[in-house]
Amino acid sequence: MTIVAPVITPYTFSKSLETFARAQRVIPAGIPGHLGPTEGLHLPYDRFPKFSSRASGTKFWDVDGNEFIDYMCGYGPNILGYNDPDVDAAARAQAKLEDVVSLPSAIMIDFAELLVDQVTSADWAFFAKNGGDTTTLAVMTARAATRRKKIVFVKGYYHGVAPWTQKLDYPGVLEEDVANNLYVPWNDLDALRGMFSAHRGEIAAFIATPYMHGNFLDNALPAEGYWQEVRRLCDEHGVVLIVDDVRAGFRLDLAGSDAYFGFEADLICFCKALANGYNVSALLGKDSLKDAVSSLTYTGSYWMSAVPFAAGIATQRKLREIDAPALFERLGTRLIDGLVAAASDHDFTLVASGAPSLFYLRLDDPADSLLLHQEWIAECVQRGVYLTSHHNHFINAALTDADIDRTVEIAHDAFRVVRGRHPELV
Amino acid sequence: MLTDIDERVLASVNLHAVFGALPRLAELAPQARGLLALLTKPVTLTLRIVGGDSTRHVFRADGVTAGAPADGIRVTLLFRSAAHLNAVVAGTAQPIPLAGPGGIRFLTSVFTPLMDLLGGYLRPSEEALVDEAFADVSRLLLLDVAVTAITVVANDDRSGRYSAAQMADGDVEISVGDDLRYTVRVDDHRLTRIAATDRPARAVFGFLDLRTAGDVLAGRESALACVGDGRIAVRGYIPLVDNTSRILDRVGHYLGD
Repeated sequence: MTIVAPVITPYTFSKSLETFARAQRVIPAGIPGHLGPTEGLHLPYDRFPKFSSRASGTKFWDVDGNEFIDYMCGYGPNILGYNDPDVDAAARAQAKLEDVVSLPSAIMIDFAELLVDQVTSADWAFFAKNGGDTTTLAVMTARAATRRKKIVFVKGYYHGVAPWTQKLDYPGVLEEDVANNLYVPWNDLDALRGMFSAHRGEIAAFIATPYMHGNFLDNALPAEGYWQEVRRLCDEHGVVLIVDDVRAGFRLDLAGSDAYFGFEADLICFCKALANGYNVSALLGKDSLKDAVSSLTYTGSYWMSAVPFAAGIATQRKLREIDAPALFERLGTRLIDGLVAAASDHDFTLVASGAPSLFYLRLDDPADSLLLHQEWIAECVQRGVYLTSHHNHFINAALTDADIDRTVEIAHDAFRVVRGRHPELV
Repeated sequence: MLTDIDERVLASVNLHAVFGALPRLAELAPQARGLLALLTKPVTLTLRIVGGDSTRHVFRADGVTAGAPADGIRVTLLFRSAAHLNAVVAGTAQPIPLAGPGGIRFLTSVFTPLMDLLGGYLRPSEEALVDEAFADVSRLLLLDVAVTAITVVANDDRSGRYSAAQMADGDVEISVGDDLRYTVRVDDHRLTRIAATDRPARAVFGFLDLRTAGDVLAGRESALACVGDGRIAVRGYIPLVDNTSRILDRVGHYLGD
């Protein structure tokens, strides 16, 4: 077979590395959290940019001036494209009126009404800032409503960074913080039934993402009938069903990912794709839990800022107008097909899993170590396609077919380089 | 994060990781070789906790061997409990020696100075670290102790077992530069230190150099900061590295001040 792959000169990141060294002097870990090289797994660290200088549409440019087609989308918030003109215009108009004031703007009600109308399972909306604010609020609401302590999680979960979401062996997390956490495997109804029976009358909530989009593993959609049986079990045991739709929300279905999979959550958490990067999150829920959530002491200095509400309204309207989930499905599928074929052209097997709009990639490796995958990802990043080796990716509406074609071209070149290093792995 | 430590786990760390570093001390430290040269015949030293764990080392003029068949003079140091052993290591209690005159001479003129020497390398003063040769031996011994302690804590400590329970099977390589490699094998959530092999590890936790390793293990440098700027390079199946790192944090609870 003759492989035709253009040779693309890899980027260098000298300014990024200089800037990171500067950051390390005054900011713990330089860039704390998932955007940084440690949690973001820049492997190896000097083959990834550290700081961005501007962004537009589906691209960003780093401080060295390198251009990237961005499949992380700010880890989700970029759903329409960076600097979307309609969303930015709505935000600017609201900013001229007011933002953070001693009383909230009534635009908060407009946004709540829009979401309650749009999200099938919702009767009310409670706004905050980050996804973790809403998962914590959901758990507190479930505990207040049921007067029970225990929460059932799916193994491999991520629901934010509040102490209750972390684990026994994490620094700064007390044993008491996680003492009421129970764990079941994904898609395992027998385990869930067993857990509910073993702790009858003790479980406040079952919390899960709409499908298993965890890190370091092929993502897994729900088995046929899984969610319907979970719903039935929760009803039978008086357990509040919380869907953490922070990551997948509005990329599968504008009515909520519970609607997409044919069931209704009691509480559903949104954040990332709510307002195209403007800072707002929302817990939505059923009437039966409205009193419980109302009884909680839960607020923050910026939670009622008006500009993100205006941005959120504009974002959701535009997502409806363009039928965004269908667009994401089409673009994601085209991209995945191109990447898988490119891998095959170089005698590699690229495994794509999860929903096309939130695709997860893994380059198959006889050692099952992810080493090969990490090499390929680093080569892609150095050539202008921003992917990660451990996390699902995101499609946004500004992505074009030409961007996808260029991505596949770069992927080819990256596969060529990796194949050259590992001729034995066939 | 558990805020307390388990005396039994600390005793195992002391028994297997700290005392277990004696063979490496004998290889690396010139003064250790001088002390061992005093031996005219082999001495077998058994360290035993009453009703609990024990280890055996054979001391010869040319080195120390862990777990070798008993040879020469027999000496036992008895500890009434795990807490007693820990107090002895902390210097606040005395062990119960079971030995004849030759054994007592070994304990006073060879073993005790060797342990003092080891303590000096494992808890070096700032002044001592100015000597690069001393500092390198100190770092190598810290690494040796830490790698063994990782397996002890992963298998016996409650927090360590929690971390190990999240680990898939495979080998984790802990490397320093291009020359030093330690391998920890995970099999059914039990961790064992094995000799480095040519088989590629499933995950790698690589210190750029010995200085970085020593600074991180001594708590003078943040592992996170080192991962961020490349002084620690991780690769492969990251959950193995991540959980090893969490166990290493817990090791610090046992070996730290």
